Order: sequence, then structure tokens, then C-alpha cells
Amino acid sequence: MSKIVATRRAVLNAGLGLTVALAASGVISPAAAREKLVINSYGGAYEQIHRKLVIEPFSKKYDVDVQVITAYSADALAQLRAQKAAPQFDVIHFSGGQEVVAAREGLIAPIKPDELTTAKELYPFAIEGLSRGEGPVHAVAAIGLLYNKEKAKKPEKWADLWNAEYKDHIVLTDLSNSYGLLGFLMINKVKGGDITKADPGFDAVKTLLDSAVVVATSPEMQQNFAQNDAWIAPYAQDYAYTLRKAGLPIEFVQGAEGTPAVYLTANLVANRPNQDLAKKFIDFSLSAEVQAGWAQELRYSPTNKATKLDETVSKEVIYGPDAVAGLVRFDPVAVDANRAALVERWKKLIAK
Amino acid sequence: MSSSTDNGVVGTPTLPPQGVSTRVLGGIAEDATLSAPGVFLIVLAFILPIGQMLLLSIENAGGGLTSEHFTRFLGDSYYLGIVWRTLRLSLLITVIAAAIGFPLAYVMAHVGPRLRLWLIVLVILPLMTSVVVRTFGWMVLLGRGGLVPFTLWKLGFVNRNFTLMQTESAIVIGMVQVLLPFMTLSVLGVVMKIDRRLEEAARTMGASFLATLRTVVLPLAMPGIVAGSLLVFTLSVSSFITPSLLGGVRLPVVAGSIYEAATKTLEWNFAAAQSVILLIGVFLVLLPYLKLTGRRHG
Amino acid sequence: MVRAVPSTVRITAFLFVVLTLVFVLAPLVVVAGVSVSESQFIAFPPTGFSLRWYSAILTSGAYLGAAWTSLKLAVLVTICATIIGAGAAITLHRRRLPGAALLAGLFLSPLILPTIIFAIGLLMLWSATFGPVSFTALWIGHTVVALPYVVRTTLAVLAESDPFLEEAAATMGARRWQRLVFVVLPQCLPGLAAGAFFAFNISFDEAVVALFLRTPDLVTLPIQIYNQLEFSPDPSVAAVSTLMIGVTILLIVVIDRLLGIQRFTGA
Repeated sequence: MSKIVATRRAVLNAGLGLTVALAASGVISPAAAREKLVINSYGGAYEQIHRKLVIEPFSKKYDVDVQVITAYSADALAQLRAQKAAPQFDVIHFSGGQEVVAAREGLIAPIKPDELTTAKELYPFAIEGLSRGEGPVHAVAAIGLLYNKEKAKKPEKWADLWNAEYKDHIVLTDLSNSYGLLGFLMINKVKGGDITKADPGFDAVKTLLDSAVVVATSPEMQQNFAQNDAWIAPYAQDYAYTLRKAGLPIEFVQGAEGTPAVYLTANLVANRPNQDLAKKFIDFSLSAEVQAGWAQELRYSPTNKATKLDETVSKEVIYGPDAVAGLVRFDPVAVDANRAALVERWKKLIAK
Repeated sequence: MSSSTDNGVVGTPTLPPQGVSTRVLGGIAEDATLSAPGVFLIVLAFILPIGQMLLLSIENAGGGLTSEHFTRFLGDSYYLGIVWRTLRLSLLITVIAAAIGFPLAYVMAHVGPRLRLWLIVLVILPLMTSVVVRTFGWMVLLGRGGLVPFTLWKLGFVNRNFTLMQTESAIVIGMVQVLLPFMTLSVLGVVMKIDRRLEEAARTMGASFLATLRTVVLPLAMPGIVAGSLLVFTLSVSSFITPSLLGGVRLPVVAGSIYEAATKTLEWNFAAAQSVILLIGVFLVLLPYLKLTGRRHG
Repeated sequence: MVRAVPSTVRITAFLFVVLTLVFVLAPLVVVAGVSVSESQFIAFPPTGFSLRWYSAILTSGAYLGAAWTSLKLAVLVTICATIIGAGAAITLHRRRLPGAALLAGLFLSPLILPTIIFAIGLLMLWSATFGPVSFTALWIGHTVVALPYVVRTTLAVLAESDPFLEEAAATMGARRWQRLVFVVLPQCLPGLAAGAFFAFNISFDEAVVALFLRTPDLVTLPIQIYNQLEFSPDPSVAAVSTLMIGVTILLIVVIDRLLGIQRFTGA
């Protein structure tokens, strides 16, 4: 691919003179006097909290400019890959396992554990990816069952999804969504499959399809609970809280068979000039205070052992060594290797 | 083409002194100058970037040549089904848009200028709202218990749980709404230029209103209908936001599949191959259309 | 006016227009309804009445900044696409250039290929050639996307124009540029106007190229709306849309009062 870019560049150089003039006439942002860091955040309430907990305190502490591009993980990775020749991000956050791809393609740079002051406070799973060149996990979104407590009976386990009482009120999530992917992998596991053998999961989902709605995004999930009489859905703990704050009677239950989770990582972008500052930013995101804030505000589970939470909050996240030990983790490398095939098979299964 | 090349020469009673060849060359020079910025822009800012992407469609993981991405797509009934749905729905959307757009443009052309202005404004208003928000309006109207299913249920046509959401009908309804302005304005521009006396003449000669519409107005409006259809068809083939929101993930279309491959699973080679196939498919469908416009111009 | 249009036809036409308008406007009414809801999330029918979403967006720097960026961009794109498109359409119509058919295909191609592929390709090429993306990159990208609309609508109008007018002007001794400015361009006007309108709209509503070419300082209104919807959709996006509808109508009324816009839609 880069080869093609290079040849194209040679061709383009001919017309460069003219176009440079164009570029120069464009809006060029005034050179900031302070050091600048460009990161991505996920928009909406997440970004507000992100600014409050991390971005603003960090810029104050180090007297730097932190600029935010609102971009979800998949879009951010696609943009990063297309911009490989001249990346604009310094720190890039992923929530769907994209760090595996980014590390493999050399888009992000490895971080050594001793470069992070917080490394010793983190649970082992949070820094496990560093050896593969990925960034650390700064938050965890637990996946379980969301249900409408005014309309439906509380589910106990993942297998309850097949109870006749929920028929026609189930919402499933597309595998292109990382919450959906993790939910599916758990269903597959409950039904006796594993990552390389997904038939049990697909067979099980097939029996639900006639009585379920399949959505692809969080807003659609919200709409189904708010507008379309949805009762139950495999989805994330943080989103259950978001729905509750919006006034919907939605509760989160951890399935008895186990709780998979989506791991949110903060990654160092390769080929950028100010990597030291970027590392400080990542380190800052991992601190116990910041993580307590995430749990408090949006119910993301901390990855820092030193995080202190009050009782209400601690009950609504995965908190403490025992709870963390109970998390089901699917090998991110295996998930990545099988992702495209799983997504394609899923699309074929659900297509009408 | 040759007949129009010497457009300014044939039938000109008094030839200017400089002679034929210089005139033709001068015309070519003029046209070359006029189209240069466009050609420059399209080649540098479109063909170049898109060509580099489309080359990916024949490149394998190691950078060598391969046809694997095409065989993966063409050898799979799932993907062929997506292509079929895309073309079928786009044609349907185009036909419906033309069926509404032509009479609408005709009425607009025949009312007073002030009323016409407001009709234009009302028809194009959907374009002023973000596609996602506008689509949400349809979700409310077409979803379970929404206004349309509710009315149908009250009238006894459907059962209570009936929903139009996540159906092909929803895709068609939503797409026609956004694409109607493209059809209407394209036709209006042409209908406005039709000489009213032609219609009057036909009527005086005893043709009924509908016969006049069919034999006089419709043929003259054809370039507008063709241009509008071209816009509507290509736009509906290449759009993915409205189809994916109204049709849902269970009714995929090609553009949506390309978007997924490009941003979700990051299979750019496969996304490129799908784009090439879409391009060829659209071109094959449009070929008769393009011939038609060509004849009108010639 | 053609004489004696049967009254059944008039009534049918009236009903047809009304039904079409209901069809086209119904979803917008829903959006306007949602925008005054008190509720945190997007739901219909709206619960309660509140203008808080309007005050939220009108005091939000992010929305106002994005609206300004979009407006600037759309105006520049419209100007460029209309000028470039007019030249292209006129030459395509004359068919004097060798390879005119190929040229026609060239100018149509951005319409057919999915913008996502164009967006990624443009970003890759731009990054490799100029480095970080800028407003100019987005300006060029949108102009490419908008260009075919201008070309198509103008071509359609030219197809119905009188080819002998230019010839007559030539006979009377008009120079090339005089014929172009005083004969050909006026004939293009309805097509150019429609094309310009589409160009403005395409740029103002375009979200895919803008998604890939965004930087911290370069966020358009559709991207801002998308950002809000992706994570926590609330009625503010409905309020933005309603405002945009309102501003459009207001603008048209004002322009109409000042300049008599209806003359432009006259024959």
C-alpha cells in the first residue's frame, strides 16, 4: 500500500507547485506557544467526563494544550491507518480490541512498564498487552444482561435469554459493535463453543432471531428500550447506567456463567514528536483518582488496584480482586484473528 | 459527434474571414480552457486517490496480484444477494421518485412564481436536516405502534405488532423522501423551459389534457427526468446511512457492506473490490441511460 | 396558461401536491416535536415542553463553531463547484473536444463510487503528500463530491436550449467570450441554480469525507451531530435540525422580501 502511495506521490509532485499554493491559502491554525497533544475521545457524555477527569487536569498540571478529536475506536483506527504517513493523534483510545491491529501494523508504539509510574498499581491484565506493543487498559466495561425492571422478570443467567417470557422483547447487538461481539462470544461460550468453534453460538442465536431485534449502535439500543418495548438485551454495564440516568427503568445483571468485558486502552501513536508527553498523559489516565472518577460518573470498572470507591458505586462496577478475578477474558489476539470471519458469518446468519 | 463538432460552421451563411480550421481549433481551445479546472480537479483530487484505493482490490496481503477479493464476493450468494437488493431497491426508488417528481415539477411550473418558490422550499426542506435526525422521524412514524402501523391496524389491515421498521419498504420510503428534491428540481429546470405554446397548440388541435401531457410535455421533459433519475439512482446505490438505519443490519446494501469492511473489520482490499463491483454494476445499469442522454445531446 | 384544464385534473393535482408535502414533511414535524421535549432522550410523542435543548445548543461553542465551519465550507464549495461545473457542462454539451464521452464519465464518476472509499483515498494521498489535513483538503474533497450535481443539472437544462442562439450570435459578430457570457451562460442559469443549491446542500450535509478529514479544529455540523448521537443522543440534535429548517425558511423569506427571489424561480 505504501508503495502505491509513494508512486502516486511521484506523480503528484508534478502538480505540487499549484496545489501547495492552494494549501498555503487555506486556514492554518496559529502555532500554539504551548506544547500540544492530540487525542481522541468518544463524544457525548463520555467526552464531557473525559475532559473533566483527565484532559483539563492534565493540561493544567503540565501546562500543555490537549486537543480532542471525537472519534469512536473503529473510525479512529481507520483514520490512523489512512494517515500513517503523517499521523495527527498523539494518544489514541480504543474500546474494541483495535490496539491489536494497530500494534501489528506499527501504527502505535510500545510502552515499557517502567515508563508508567502507575504500572505497579494496575491489575496484571491491564498491562498484559504492553508486551505485544499495545497500550495499557485504563477502564473496563463489563458485559451482562440489561433488563427493564418494570416490564420483565430479573434474569439470572445468560441462558435465561431463551426463556419464553422474553420472546419478542429481546435486543441483540451486531458483531461490528464491540459490546455485541463480546456478548456473542459469551453466548457461544455458555453454549459450549470457543473462539475457533463458534457453531454453538451461531446455532443458539439463530433460535432467537425470530423474536429479537438486531441493532448496531448504542442509540438504537436506547431507542428500543425507550420507544419499542424492549425488555432484555446483552449489553454493557456503563450503558445500563446511562439509560438509568436518562430516566429509563433499566438494570444490569451479571450472568451467572461469567462476565466478559470490553477493555478500553490508551495507546501511544508511533512517529509522533512528543511521545514523552503522550506517555505522561497515558500514565495520568491510569491513576487511581481518575479511575474512581470514571466509576463514579459512568460506571466503568477501574483497572487500578488502589482505586477507592464508595459503596453504591462499588456495587455497580467490577470492584476488588475477587470480582476482577471472575472476569471472563477472551484472548484479544485470537479474537482479532477471528473477527472478520465471525462478523461475516454473523452477517450471513442475520440477513433476511 | 462530428455533426456537433462543427456546430458553429454548418449552415452559417457568412463565414468569418479566418476560415474553418482556425475556428474549429479555436472552439476546441475554448472548450479545453473551460473544462480544464474540472479535469484538473477530478484527475488530481479524485482519480488519483480513488485509483490508489481501487488498486487495493487486486492486491493480496503480501502486495502481489490476486483476484481473491473478487472471487470471495462473486462466489458467495450472500454478497450477490446484497447486490441484487441494492440494484432492485435503487431502481424502485428511482421509478417512484420520477413518478412523484415529474407531475410535481409540472404543477410547480404552472403555478405562480410565489407559490412555486414555497413549493420548492417545502420539497427541499428534508435536505436541511441531518440524515440521522431525519431518519429518526421515520423510525417514529414507521416503528411498532407508530402513526402509520397504528392507522393500518385501526383500519384492520394489519395486526397490532405490525412494524414497517427494518423492512425494505422503510428503506424505499426514507430514500424517496430525501431524493425527491433531486428529481423534482432536475425536472423543474427543464419543464420551465418548455414553450407553453406547444401545449396550447396540442390542446387546440383537440388533444386531451392527459394526451398533451403524455405526447408533448413528457418527451420534452425527458432530459430532466433522465438527469434526475441518474442522480437519484446513483445516490441511492451509494448511500448507506438511511438504508442501514431504516432497514437495519439484517437488510444490508452494498454501500453499507463497503463501509463495514472499510471501517469495522478494516478489510480495505475487500472494500475496494466491492467498490469496483458496485461501479461496474452501476455502469452496466446506466449504460442505456447514458446512451439516451448522448442522443439528446447529439 | 393552457386553456380549460379540466377541474378533475385541478383537484387531483391539488390533492397530489398536498399528499406529497405530507409525505415529505411528516418526519420533520416529528423532529420539531422531539426538539421541545423535556425528556433526556429522543422520544416521541415529546414529554412536556421545554426549550432547554435550544438554549443548550445556542450556548454550546462546539455547535456554533461547527455551524460556522460548515457554512464557510459550503459557501466556498458552492462557488468553486458552480464555476468549475459550468465550464465542464458547457464543454460536455458542445461535444467538440475529442473523447467527450470519456470526459462525461469522468465528471459523473464521483457520484457513483461510495464516498467512504474516496474519503480514505484522499486522506491517504493528502497525508503522504502534504502531511496533516486542513480546511483546504476538506474544501477540495467536498468540491469533488458536489461537482457532478452541477454538471448534471446544467447539462439537462442545456439539452433543451436552442443551439442556434449561439450560432446567431456568432453570425452577428459576437466574440467567443461575448457569446459565452451573454448567450450560453444565461441559458445555463436554471441548471446552475439547481446545481449550486445541491452543491451547498451536499457540502452542508456531507458526513463521510468530513469524518475522515477531521482535525481538532475542523469539525463540521454533521460531524458534531454524529459525535453527539454516537455516544449520548439527546433532543439537542433534533433542536439543531429544527433550527436549521427555521433558518432556511427565514433566509428565504428575507431574501425574497429584499430581492424578490421569486423572480429567479419565474420562467
